[in-house]
Amino acid sequence: MEFQRATPEERRLYYREEWDVKQIPRFIRDSLYQREFGFDHHGRGPNDRYRTFRNEDHLRKFMRYRTPFAAYTSVAFYQKPNRREGWIKSELVFDVDAKDLPIRSCACDSVCELCLDQAKNIVSDLKDTLTSDLGLKEIYMIYSGRGYHLRVQDEEVLGTDSEVRSQIVKYLVGAEVPRSEYGQEGITYNLEHFAIPFGYHQVFTQRIKQSILHLTMETALDDVNKKLLKDVIKNRHLLLKDQWGPFRQAIGPIRYKRLTKGLAFTNLGLVDAKVSIDLKRILRLPSSLHSMVSMKCTEVKNLNTFDPFQDAVPQFVYERKD
Amino acid sequence: MVGVPFINPLSLEGREMVRQLGSLEDLTHDNPELIGIVTRSKSQDISDDQDIPRNHLELALKRLEWYVKKRNNPNFNYRKYAFLFQGDIEKFDTISFYLLSQAIGVKFGPNSRESRLMAESQGSLIQNRLEELNTRNREEIVLKALQELLSQGTLKWTFFEDLLSSRRIQLSDLVLDQGEVIMDQDDFRERLGPRLHHRDPDKMYQLLIGEELRELILIQMVMQQTENYMAEVHEKSRLMVEPNPLLLQLADGVTEILTQPTPSYTGTGKVARQSYRGPLNREAFPPCVKTALEGIKSGGRNDAIVLFITPFVSYARLCPDIFKQNVTVRVSDKDPQLQVVHQEVLPLIYEAAERCVPPLFEDQPQEKININAKIGFGMHSTLKLENEGETKWYTPMSCEKIKLHLPYLCRPDDDCKKIGNPLIYYNRKNWILSREQAESGDKKEDEGSSGEEVMENQDNDWIDV
Ligand code: SF4
Ligand SMILES: [Zn+2]
Repeated sequence: MEFQRATPEERRLYYREEWDVKQIPRFIRDSLYQREFGFDHHGRGPNDRYRTFRNEDHLRKFMRYRTPFAAYTSVAFYQKPNRREGWIKSELVFDVDAKDLPIRSCACDSVCELCLDQAKNIVSDLKDTLTSDLGLKEIYMIYSGRGYHLRVQDEEVLGTDSEVRSQIVKYLVGAEVPRSEYGQEGITYNLEHFAIPFGYHQVFTQRIKQSILHLTMETALDDVNKKLLKDVIKNRHLLLKDQWGPFRQAIGPIRYKRLTKGLAFTNLGLVDAKVSIDLKRILRLPSSLHSMVSMKCTEVKNLNTFDPFQDAVPQFVYERKD
Repeated sequence: MVGVPFINPLSLEGREMVRQLGSLEDLTHDNPELIGIVTRSKSQDISDDQDIPRNHLELALKRLEWYVKKRNNPNFNYRKYAFLFQGDIEKFDTISFYLLSQAIGVKFGPNSRESRLMAESQGSLIQNRLEELNTRNREEIVLKALQELLSQGTLKWTFFEDLLSSRRIQLSDLVLDQGEVIMDQDDFRERLGPRLHHRDPDKMYQLLIGEELRELILIQMVMQQTENYMAEVHEKSRLMVEPNPLLLQLADGVTEILTQPTPSYTGTGKVARQSYRGPLNREAFPPCVKTALEGIKSGGRNDAIVLFITPFVSYARLCPDIFKQNVTVRVSDKDPQLQVVHQEVLPLIYEAAERCVPPLFEDQPQEKININAKIGFGMHSTLKLENEGETKWYTPMSCEKIKLHLPYLCRPDDDCKKIGNPLIYYNRKNWILSREQAESGDKKEDEGSSGEEVMENQDNDWIDV
């Protein structure tokens, strides 16, 4: 499958024959009038901004008539969306871009089935943590064309500020090595992250497990040299059975510490943190066409069965001549 | 055994003490009971009458003075303030707490330097008071005080939104399960115990959620409530005709304490040399800053301008000795009218942004908002005083981080060998340059112990890449 840019004619085909305003998820359609829309008409970035639509019909007409190169909508709800004023609240969002994953076992220069699949697994893990640890329930997943968006609608987090969101991001991706030394009555106890099967420690264990399993000799990790990298790769089979103790033993405790530190730092790249902390961000509109790669940005109902190469390919791609 | 108000004056019991209070005027009279408690306090230094608070008002000021002195000089005479840690001062202390909070609330309002100091001093007092207690009493009082604060059945993590937002606690410090924060031992055993293999859940609880986390949460919650209380007072006082003159008098006392000249000390107790302060001296910029100011011609424009240049330029101009301070600073503490920010800081940042290829704001005008956010003014397109505090003023990142994330900027010269943060480079270079200029014959000063080396690697702000 090739990622080819869509022609203006193909865009027209898509919006006139395939697209339907009802394909936009409910959680956006229900708040249409409070959101800002942005469009990219010529493939040079979304510079047509501050657009608003009073109802679905106006949006429908606009899309069919203008057939934009790309369409976006704000994660924020405003009193006056056309001026981006009167901020009410913002969805909590996470952007996992297959192309920007910090550790990829594929060596492609854009996206491919391998890294898209890896992105999918990460999204699934993040979603689990949002539910099991943070107790969030209204979570929507969107395939963005090059990765995934997680969009959280639980009322209790919609009002949080950037700082809180940045803390959520760090928790979710495992951006810091959990504390391992605990003192009680003068005695220090050592509790490695893998000895604690819940909370942040567990999140961290799960994230670095995935990272370690995807490492290649080409991966650059802060303060981890080739020798260490080689030993990690040699011993990582132990983690398939969650044998963390023996794994740490094999690496050596000091080098293990360096490894976890390096991994914690790369974990920050699992999501684009800038997107999550920006309360006024615009995100690609689900149902719209990602013209750069000719794929549909689309809501994912069931992540397990979702296959972007089945479910996000617009009709016109199959009708291409060559 | 001390009472809850000694730890949390805003507790029900503490509020009750204030409610039973007579007229404010009485609080200015010498109070023999108070004087008695103070002079009889264990290890209290009573050699100087000045050190003995004679009434509630004086006690209120002593509370704050203790904190300011302690912060500025680790070798200060603790024995002058021993009474603050004496359990039987509780009643006086609680009332003094309210007086002081009200005075600060009325006069300076929330988000002021004074109100932050008030909250910080309360936190520090609690910490020190707890440390004076024996293990059993300490645990007991913490549990009792917390119980009241956490009285609702389940505790959702969003309850700590304020504390998370002000970074007083980290989300990862909490033990979370299904959206709830696990603080209670039975709860822990029941919900998380079954997941543990070969480990005693009670032991695990003691370690993970033990005393330490409970104290942290208690202290942080009281600090937050102290701030909220001052904000409430401020709101109410705006509707009042005129605040009580006593409170205004007390507020003047606060100002006096804060303006007392306090030399800054190094870890070794020596007085540190002054950091350069004044208009930016481009000559003293480190290579990485010079490179970035010339404009970024390839990728990485955003990070170089927003995450690197913005904190550097703002701190270099307004607060170059930030790493020597242990209190949070806001831009308006240094530049109350934001004049310098508008006339010197932002123009230099914008100039660097302009020089990028393509010019940064041309395709990414939203980065102006992110610049405002990084100097503490929230996510807004215009920088306004009223939004200050919505975000944090980011401290300049360390050389280590720069080498990692913006490697193309780092072209170390000889002076770089001695430092770990570009801001320290700037201070040091300014000092060297001024010495060269002075060119007077006198020999080296205490170069080795400037105190700057102590904390030069600080850059804990730099997280949200
Ligand atoms: S060593 Fe530090 S100060 Fe010197 S150029 Fe590199 S980053 Fe800048
Ligand atoms: Zn790939």
